[in-house]
This record gives sequence, C-alpha cells and structure tokens, in this order.
Amino acid sequence: MHCGRYHESPLSRRDMLFRCANGFGAVALAALLNDESRGAEISTRQDPLLPKPPHFKAKAKSVIFLFMDGGPSQVDTFDPKPRLDREHGNPIKMKVPATQFNNVGNVLKCPWTFKQRGQSGIPVSDLFPHVAKCVDDLAIIRSMTSNFSEHTAANYFMHTGSGLQGRPSHGSWVSYGLGTECRDLPSFVVLNSGLIPPGGADCFNNGFLPASFQGSVFKAGPSPLANIEPVGAQKSKLDLLRTLDGETVSRVGPNDAIESAIANYELAGRMQAAVPSLVEISNESKATRDLYGLDDEYPQARLYGRQCLLARRLVERGVRFVEVLCPNVGADRWDQHSGLKTGHENNARATDRGVAGLLKDLKARGLLESTLVIWGGEFGRTPMAQGSDGRDHNPFGFTMWMAGGGVKGGTVFGATDDYGYYAVEDKVQVHDLHATMLHLMGMDHKRLTYRYSGRDMRLTDVHGEIIKPILA
Amino acid sequence: MPIKRRLIYICGLLAYLACTCPASAQDAKPDSSALEFFEKSVRPVLVTRCISCHGDEKQKGGLRLDSRAALMSGGESGPAIVPGKPMESRLVDAINYGDLQMPPKSKLPAVEIQSLTKWVEMNAPWPESLGPKTGATTSTGKPWAERKKHWSLQPVADPALPNVKDTAWPHTPIDRFILAGLESSNLKPTHDADRRTWIRRVTFDLTGLPPTIDEIDGFLKDTSSNAQEKVVDHLLASPRYGERWARHWLDLVRYAETSGHEFDYDLPDAWRYRDYVIRAFNADLPYNQFVTEHIAGDLLEKPRCNPVDGSNESILATGFFYLCEGTHSPVDLRDEEAARIDNQLDVFAKTFQGLTLACARCHDHKFDAITTKDYYALSGVLKSSRHHHAILNEDNEIKPRVAALDELKSQVVAAAKPTTPPLKSPAPIAASKDVVVFESFNTPNYQGWNVARSAFGNSPTGTGDYQLSKEPALVPLKPGLAHSGRTSPRLHGSLRSRTFTIEHPFILFLTAGSGGRINVVIDGFEKIRSPIYGGLLVDVNNPQPHWQAIDVTMWIGHEAYIELSDGATIDYSGGNSRYSNGSGDLIVDEIVFAKSPGEPGPVTAFSGPKVPITDPKSRSLAERYRTLESQLPAPIYALAITEGTPENDRVHIRGNPRSLGDVVPRRFVEAIDTSASGSAPISRRDLAQKLVDPANPLTARVMVNRIWKHHFGEGLVRSTDDYGAMGQTPSNPQLLDWLAREFIRSGWSIKHMHKLMVLSHTYALSSAADTEGDKADPANRLLHRMNVRRLEAEAVRDSVLAVSGRLDPTMFGPSIPVHLTPFMDGRGRPGHSGPEDGNGRRTIYQNVRRNFVAPFLLAFDFPTPSSCTGRRNVSNIPAQALTMLNDPFVVAQAKLWAERVSKNSAAPDEQITQLYLTAFGRPPSAKEKEAAIAYIASQTKNDKSAAWADLCHVLFNVKEFIFIP
Repeated sequence: MHCGRYHESPLSRRDMLFRCANGFGAVALAALLNDESRGAEISTRQDPLLPKPPHFKAKAKSVIFLFMDGGPSQVDTFDPKPRLDREHGNPIKMKVPATQFNNVGNVLKCPWTFKQRGQSGIPVSDLFPHVAKCVDDLAIIRSMTSNFSEHTAANYFMHTGSGLQGRPSHGSWVSYGLGTECRDLPSFVVLNSGLIPPGGADCFNNGFLPASFQGSVFKAGPSPLANIEPVGAQKSKLDLLRTLDGETVSRVGPNDAIESAIANYELAGRMQAAVPSLVEISNESKATRDLYGLDDEYPQARLYGRQCLLARRLVERGVRFVEVLCPNVGADRWDQHSGLKTGHENNARATDRGVAGLLKDLKARGLLESTLVIWGGEFGRTPMAQGSDGRDHNPFGFTMWMAGGGVKGGTVFGATDDYGYYAVEDKVQVHDLHATMLHLMGMDHKRLTYRYSGRDMRLTDVHGEIIKPILA
Repeated sequence: MPIKRRLIYICGLLAYLACTCPASAQDAKPDSSALEFFEKSVRPVLVTRCISCHGDEKQKGGLRLDSRAALMSGGESGPAIVPGKPMESRLVDAINYGDLQMPPKSKLPAVEIQSLTKWVEMNAPWPESLGPKTGATTSTGKPWAERKKHWSLQPVADPALPNVKDTAWPHTPIDRFILAGLESSNLKPTHDADRRTWIRRVTFDLTGLPPTIDEIDGFLKDTSSNAQEKVVDHLLASPRYGERWARHWLDLVRYAETSGHEFDYDLPDAWRYRDYVIRAFNADLPYNQFVTEHIAGDLLEKPRCNPVDGSNESILATGFFYLCEGTHSPVDLRDEEAARIDNQLDVFAKTFQGLTLACARCHDHKFDAITTKDYYALSGVLKSSRHHHAILNEDNEIKPRVAALDELKSQVVAAAKPTTPPLKSPAPIAASKDVVVFESFNTPNYQGWNVARSAFGNSPTGTGDYQLSKEPALVPLKPGLAHSGRTSPRLHGSLRSRTFTIEHPFILFLTAGSGGRINVVIDGFEKIRSPIYGGLLVDVNNPQPHWQAIDVTMWIGHEAYIELSDGATIDYSGGNSRYSNGSGDLIVDEIVFAKSPGEPGPVTAFSGPKVPITDPKSRSLAERYRTLESQLPAPIYALAITEGTPENDRVHIRGNPRSLGDVVPRRFVEAIDTSASGSAPISRRDLAQKLVDPANPLTARVMVNRIWKHHFGEGLVRSTDDYGAMGQTPSNPQLLDWLAREFIRSGWSIKHMHKLMVLSHTYALSSAADTEGDKADPANRLLHRMNVRRLEAEAVRDSVLAVSGRLDPTMFGPSIPVHLTPFMDGRGRPGHSGPEDGNGRRTIYQNVRRNFVAPFLLAFDFPTPSSCTGRRNVSNIPAQALTMLNDPFVVAQAKLWAERVSKNSAAPDEQITQLYLTAFGRPPSAKEKEAAIAYIASQTKNDKSAAWADLCHVLFNVKEFIFIP
C-alpha cells in the first residue's frame, strides 16, 4: 500500500549520531516511542527539497505542462470527425447529457482543414501550422475524459486529481517525491502569461503537503516574483544578521529547526540572484527569437513565446515542474461558448509558435529526452454548437498530447465516437494521465503517498493506470 | 436510468424472482443451440472482457459475472440482467455506454454488444453443469468486534496519580504523570528555563503576542510564590487571549469568508462567527455549551445573548456548518450536495470527535469502526437542516417593536371602524393531474413552512386584515396571502416550504411585490445564478398581482424547497455577494405545480380600496405607528443553520448519489453510541447531547489534547484529528484520560485546563538540547524537555505589529480587506485592495478569501481552509526568508519601530537594549550590542534613521524573533 521510504520521519544528522552513539538500546527505545511514525512527516529539521532517488530509473527529469485553459476543442485540433461535415446544421443523433449552458444547437463542423502531417501522417488541423510540424514527436491521446463539466472543479481535477479545492497540485507531488536539482529556484514554477485559470491559486497549491512544495507563480515581465530584491544592497544587513543569528544559536543551543531556518536565508539569497538572470532575454540570438516567435506581430504570441523560452531555461536549470499558462487574447481563453472561429484562431495563434519552438529547442539541446511535455485543457468541447457558433464544455472525450521524456512520438492513442463526443476506445482518465506522468518521472503512483486525514493520500487517489502503449 | 424506471424495474424483478425461485433456476432447460450460442458468442466475451474485474479474484462493485445466478443477484447497484428483457438489464445499458459505461476503458465492438443483448433476450441461457457460484464477498480488514476495541472508543479511565521516585520535582498532577513516564524509561526532566524564557513562552502561548517590557519587569521583580499564577491569570483575562485561541479553533472549522472555486463568492457576515469564537474563549464558555451551540444553537430554548447588544449569540455557532467551499454552476446538483455534506461531516467528525468519518462515504471505513451507514445516518441529520440567514436582533429588537406596531394598528382599526366589506378569496383553483395546488395560504398559520422572522408575520393574512398606508389610510388585504409588507416594508424575512420532489415541469406563483424574491432551492443548492440556474430565481418587482412561472423541467425527480424572501437571501456575485435588498414587500397568494406555464387560475386584487383615516384619534395613532416604524432597526444577519424537512438519507452505493441503497434512520455513530440503532431518528439537538454526554469517549479527550498540543508543541496524541487506527496512540494514556476527566470535572472549563498545563513544572522546563534525554527520546515524546516552537503565521505578523508599535487593539467587526499585490491575480479578485498593514489590526481580523490568501500567511504555513487542521505544517521555505527580508509591510514596520525607539533619545547602547527587550524579551549580550553598534556606526553615509530602520529590520529576521525556546 505504501513503501517504507515515505514512512519514517527523516532522521536528522543529529538524531543519527545520537542513535549510533547509544547503540541498540536507544534504537529500540526510539522504535518504541515512535510507534506512530507512519506519517510522512517532513519536519523543519531537514530540507525537504533535497533531491531524492526515484522509485525506479526515470525517463524524464522534468515536466512542462502547457495548460490550455478553458478547454480547446478536440474536433477542431487533433481529432478529425468527417461525420460533423456530413451532418453540419442538423440535430445531433445521440443522447446528449446536461451541458454547462444547456443551449444545445445543431452539429457544427470544424471550420478548419485537417491535413496529414509528418512521417506518421497524423492529422492536425490548420489551427496549428507550427506544432503540426512536430507531430512525429507527439503521442496524441484522443480518449481523455474528465469527471467535471464545470471549469473550476475540472481545473482542480486536472491539477490535483480531485475536483475539490485544497488538494496538492501535481507539481507539488512531483516535488515532494523527487525534490529538486535546482538549488536556487523553486522546484515547481508556474509561468503566468496573463490568465490564471478558474480556481486560482489552489490549482498550484501544496494542499496538505508542506509549504516547501508550493507552486511559485511567476508573473510575466521583468519582476516575476514578489519580494525579490538585488542582493548587493542587502549585504551588510545579511552580515549583521549572520552574527546575531549565531548568538541566538549559542544561547538556545543546537537546534535543527533554527539552523535550517538560517540555512534557508542562503537559499533565499541565491534565489534573489538567480531570478533576474532567468528572465533576462535580451541577449538571445536571432535564431532563438525566431524559433519562439519573440518578434511575432501578434503581441500574445510574443508573450507566450517568451514564457516557453523561460520554461526551457527552467528545466535546463533543473527545475522539476513547470506549468505555462495561457495569455489573454481578448476572447475568453479556449472557452469558446460562441465565436469558435475567432476565439480558437486567436488562442492558437498565441500559442502555436511558442509550443513548437519549445519542442524544437528542447530537442536540439538534447533536453527533450529528459523533459516530459504535456499539452491540453481541463476538458474538450461539444461537437454540436452552443447557440450557433460556439461549443459547450465536454468532459466525456477530448484530446491531450505528450511529448519527450519516455513518450513514443508519432502515436495516436484512443478514440472518440463518430461525433467526437464520447471517448469509446481506450478511455483515459485524468488519474491515468497522472499515473503515467509519475511513471515517466520514475515514480510508482501507488507508492507516492502522504499520510493525511487518516489515509495515505495519493495524487491518483485510488485510481490510475499507466498508459503503456504511448511509452517509448 | 432514471430512478423511477429503476424502481419499476427492480419491483418487476422482485416479482419475477418470486415466481421463479430459486433465483438461479432457468425458466426452462435451454436448448442446445442456445447453449452453443452462449459458448461461442457470450462466454468468450465475458471471459476476455469482464472476468478480470468481476470474477473469482476481484468483484468490483460487488459484482461477478461468472454464473447466471451471480448475474441475476448482481452487485451493489442491483441485478445485472433481467432475462428476456435487455432493455431493463443494467448489463446491456452499461455495454451500450448508458448510465454505466462498461468495460470502462473501451466500448465493446458492436458485434459483441449484439451478442450479449441477444443472449439476454434469449433468457440468458447458461449450462447447468457449471453450477451456480455465489455472489460477491467484500468484507476486508479487521473484524468489527476488534475495531470496537480500539483504545479511543473505550470509556475514559479515572487514573490515580502515579507514584514517582523523585517526589520533590512534581508541582502539579500533570507533572506526576510526566515524571512517571520519564522514570519508567530511566529518563529525567532537564533543568528549568529561566524566568524570561518562561514569561515569553507563556505570553505567546496564551495571547500570540510578545510580553511587554513592563510585564517582564513586573514578573522578574515579583518574588512571591504565586508570581507565575498571577501572570497566567493576567494573560487569561486579556482580550488578546480569545483572539489567539479563536484562531486555533478557526483552523479546525476551515474558516474562510468566501466560497472559493471560480468566482470566490463572499460568505457575507462570516466574520460574526469569528467574533463569536473570540467571545466564547474570552468568556471561558464551558466547552459542552460551546459544542452544543455549534450543533444546535438555533434550537436552544434559551439562547445566550450577546453581552453588548443583547442579540442572539448561540445561533452564531451554527454558522460553522456553512464555511465550506461552493461551486459556481455545478452541472450535477446531487454530486454538489453530496460533496458539500461530505465536507460538513468531515469537519464535524474530525473537530469534535477526531474521527475520519468521511472515509465511510463510499465504503465502510477501512480501519475504524465506522460504517457507511454511520455516515448516511449523520448525512440525514444535515439533509434535514438548511442553510439560514439568521437575523440576530429579531428577538430582542425587532419582535417587540413589531408587536407594538401590530397593537397600534389594531387600535387604529378599532378607532377608525372602516366600513368596507372585507375581501374574500375567490373560488379555489381547479386541481387536476396536471395542476396541483401546492399552497394557498388559507390555513390559520404557516403550517409546513419555516417562518424566518417577522416580515411575513405569524400567519397568512386573515379576514379583516389591513395595511396602514402613509396617507394615512387603511388598506384592506385579501385573506390567504403570505405578505411580507403588512406591518412594514422595512422588515426582512423569508418563508421556506417543506422539501418536495419535483414532479411537474413548472412551478407557478400568483404573486406581487417590489424587491421580493422567489428561489427554488434544488438539492440544497443556493448559489443560484446563471448559467444553468438563473431561471430558478425570480425577482418580484410588480405591485400588481400576476402569475409568475419557474421552469424546473431539468430537475424533475430532484428534491427541492421554495424560498419566498424579502431580503434574507444573497445575490451571489464574486467579491460583491451581498444580501438582497429587503426593502419593499413580497406577496404570494398561490403556488401551483403544473404541466404548462399558462395561468392556472384567475388573478384577483390582493387589496381593496383604501379607507382614509379621518378622525383625529386614529390619525394620531397612525402617526405614532409611522414614527415607531421608522425606528425599526436594520436586521443583523448571520450565517446559521435551521430546520428543514426531516428526512432519512439512503446509503449512496460507492458514494454515488445516483446509486441509492438502504434507508438509514438518523442516528449517531454506533461504535460510540450503543443506543444508536433501533431508536427513533435523532434531531440535531439530540446529536449535540450525544457529543457532550460525559460518557462520550472522544469529546473531552480530543479537546484537552488540542489544548495540550498548542502548549507543548505536540499533542499527547500527535494526530490531533485522527483517533482511529491510522492515527497515533497517546504517548501518555493515563495523563490524557486524567486531563479529560479533569476537564469534565471543572465544568468543561478551557481556562482551567490552560492553568493546569502552563503552571506545571513540565511546562517550565528548558528547551535546550539535553544530551541524555535526546539520545534516548529524540522525538521528545515523553517531554524530558520543552520543545522549541516556531510562531504561526498570525503570531509572526502580529508580533511585527506589536514590536513596531503599530498594533491596533480594536476587536471584532467586519474583516479588513486583504491587501492585493500585483502578483495576486485571477477570477474573483476583489475590486479593491486592503491596506498594506491591515490597519494594524491583528491577523485574525484580516479577510480570509479562499482564492486570495495573503502571501505572507501562506509563506508561514497558514492552512488551506478545506478541512479540519488541528496540527499545522511547520515548513522552512525561502519564501519565509524573502518575506521577512523584502516584504514592504515588514520593511515599513521596521521603519516605524526605529522611529518609535529613536523618540526616547537615549544613548545608542541604551536604545539597542530597548530593541532587544521589545523583540526578544531579554537584553542583548555584549557581543550582540557590539555588533549592532558597529553596524550603526558603519552606516555613516546614510542618514542615521535609515541605519536604525535597517537594524530593526535585521532584528525581525533574527531567528529568535519567530522561534520560541
């Protein structure tokens, strides 16, 4: 049910010395006294973000989650459905469950054209001319399902494996399981491009996990984080602080929590130095600028391209989990309840170059092998119209894709029905996606547990199956 | 499948089984071609597609599909097949991806679906030789009787004080237990902490603030034997005590003032609950009363009154039930209701009983003696209750004035002797199958309605009722109206119907009014708003009687109640959710359930022609009426619970609200309450009684342990919210039980428990590392020394304010809006940012928005307000250092502090001593003083005040500021 690794509260150096020095008797007494030590307590005594070995050899070291807030339409992007063309304008001939707005219109064909792309010949619509060129690196899952028709619950579900507020985010779980190799940046970074998904900060929170695993939301622009100041100006103050802290320690006596808090200021200092250089992009080459679309005529594409470039820099520095949020294109995210054509075109235009640039750049630098890239929204959209020219929410069948880190490129997995409404073949739950992500990161989703509320909690709750056919 | 159809088909199946017993028997022996079809086309499908989850090894959903009998007895959601009737067979529905979708991963190929369907149609032939297999076996884990023997479910013992070797050391009974524990492990308590450390420790523990220099001096000079007790009495009498301990309590009830999710709707007036808790702790409200008020404060015959304004105090406690999150426009209201009740029960059970009851929502608890039936028995109690906007000043301020107004009005009528013939009701609406009259208000009282306060009076209008209008004139009212304006348009109130099942697509109201509102509350869902739910809310703003229709087609089969409100309901709109306007009136004559939205009956006037008042005596009475009416106070609203229609819930099989099992009568958890089964369904009042019953093994233990945890750093039971098998066993069981007994003996006095604990010798021990003890007991479970503790988020911020001199001791009232930085973004972001320093008010008075928790608090482990948190995480993250180093609030407070100290124009080394005494409760060491002086001296380029501000800022960052030895 759970592995021993996450049971014991970690021994501090001092504990270890005491126990060794005192021989078996003390160990036995400690065992007696610690009969409760089932909880995965992360105490203040040890840095919980120190790198930890995975359960087994990992394919990927980092995750970049390109979250398509609002829910892109599967039938307009990666899941072509000729039946929609045939029945365009006619009532849909199947049972339709309650939708979010319950304003069910007629079948609506895809306003774009699908073409077969790459060596694999996988069809991608004209919405994504750049990403289409990378199709041979993608494993496209056409049979995603979610449990919620409403944004916020679906966002929490996609991010935390639960539709309720307040559970740990996937980035927090990954950080908890593996720690981080980057010692001067947070291990879980969210790049805010302008749109915080419904549900807000709790999509990226640590929930019941310790605050060390909180996602840090970086604002776009030159000052991404609050409370980051130039280190130089603080030097004399920090020197004084070190002296005074030393006095505290000698008064109070050796104490792990206090010593760790002192060490924490060193980390904070490194972070203050690292963040400004992370976001400084003026020295990038023309080739890189073109690759990411940093000079695109569409401002949102420039913004998103920059965020994708930062995502690459973050994984390059060893950050464990990066989530990139969507820019504001004026319309409502990917949530086109009306005006599908304009809305989706703007969203695609904003993200297409950046996403493709990121994939190509990671590949060129040999980072794609060790970076798992995941693309998708919280759900998909209905094959029939909402009103005349929009699509409503559809959690019953939608598309996401993965690339890099141990994923078999040029693959299509699963299928929806002829309308593209319900997943009918190889259905994938969000829990399966999480299980697969953890697997590629070298973790068994059933063993990554944290004792809370009398249970060994998991990102995948009591569910989750690895999607083996898309593994390389 | 709709429930109705499901029921019909289950009934049909029972009839079928009755005639064909035994169930496994087939109507007639299947012929060989039928069996061949089974072997060729059906068995392979079952074996390859189904058996791995529904066979010998696993029985998901309690179902197995390896015998005809097993198929027919089915699983948790009922029989899998009805032989001969594919359309009624759950198996066929599932493989066609109907309500159930099986196999879960992929739909079967069409040919296999056809085969299985045909097979059911053929009467499900199955060869006899294979013999029937039994149904599912699902029981797992420890036997029930064993689970009930778990330590925490046993009666609280009454242990004698243990004998100890070192009889000189113990000062109090607590010390005897602690020392006995240490001695049995051959350990000794370490040396005592110095007096400065002790007073700093106890002051933070009891008030969340550092001691002032005067308080420290007073204590150090006091050589009397009860000097410590005097300090403790002083602290417990301080209003700061309640502010500190209320916050610990708010962690348990996931206190927040918004609903979170997409738009983070306000929960207006949630802060009144926070104030209630502060007052309760300060007044040392007996804990049994505190608990009773939480569960049933609305049902007390004699509620307590607010000491200042006399309003209803007890009912405020019930608001905790509704401090939960809430979804904006959930598509499935049954899921939403089930999730809400899950959270309410989770918080209820952990907070008061340390039980993880919510684990039993989908299945019997995996480890503890808690069944799914226990869960749904308590779910029924909540389903029988409703969210309520209580008017706190109803009884003490509004009611007497309404009575006086009504008396005056009857005097006016008696004096004016109006001659108009009273109005009569028209003939009743013709009822039929398609038109059902739900309510005509022709009864002498509001029978079957929950009357929430004065606006609607105690009864519908009767013959000879009048309204007194401004002219002045008497307005004769038609009898049989629910009328919220007959005494005054200024009164607020609501009427809520009994719960009913929606069977007709339309609910029609014959109504009139201005500023009135009608809500249809479905499955307890109140955040009525578009999309989806906008139509369930009607604003009545037409003074002429008219028919108004609400389309409920989408919710046929759901449970609902009708709410007629004049004020007393909320307009949900993100950061601006407010009570609806309660001025004006709402009048309802008829409520009809109908098949179509057309008018089911005639519209007649609700009032007759005005009768002017002319005689001087009546005019002067009317004048007094106007004056008194104008003095009606505004309602004071609060979040509360009220009684709904009593109902027993049904087990939700595997937690699925669409898969219903047995009805469970409302009762308490059987493993605690042996009288639970078989007795009459309990009320919330009964439930409260069961919690505070001295025989309850958990209530007192759980609470004394919570108090202990906050004084000693860890609980005697470290898992403060889980007393089950997955929780931890008490480190000193006799002490825990002794404390629990003592708590009850003291009249459930929390302050008594504080005194016992902080005046113990154990509490006075040093926290310094102690080689011997730490070797043997590194986790310090036996308390051979004190634990070093880090201040909680609130105490860190409050200390900054206290030290800088900015702390404003104002208590209570609406929360200070959260300060919004450019880094706080997202939906539901309030329109206005609060002040950076929160007006200097203590952190407990800062607005808690689920989606916009202050980053300062988050950095220091402020708990996510989602469930009960009795034990916060204590983490060590760079954001803490960055906050203390760079947060503009901290920098500004350092400057204020420096300015304050520089005012007393003492010599620098004197000033530095002052800074140390203020921040750390001790003078600086020589080395510290020297370093500080050197720092000030080195900053010659800056102006001196900046150097002092920097020094103050550094002191905020010294670890001793947030770590309490």
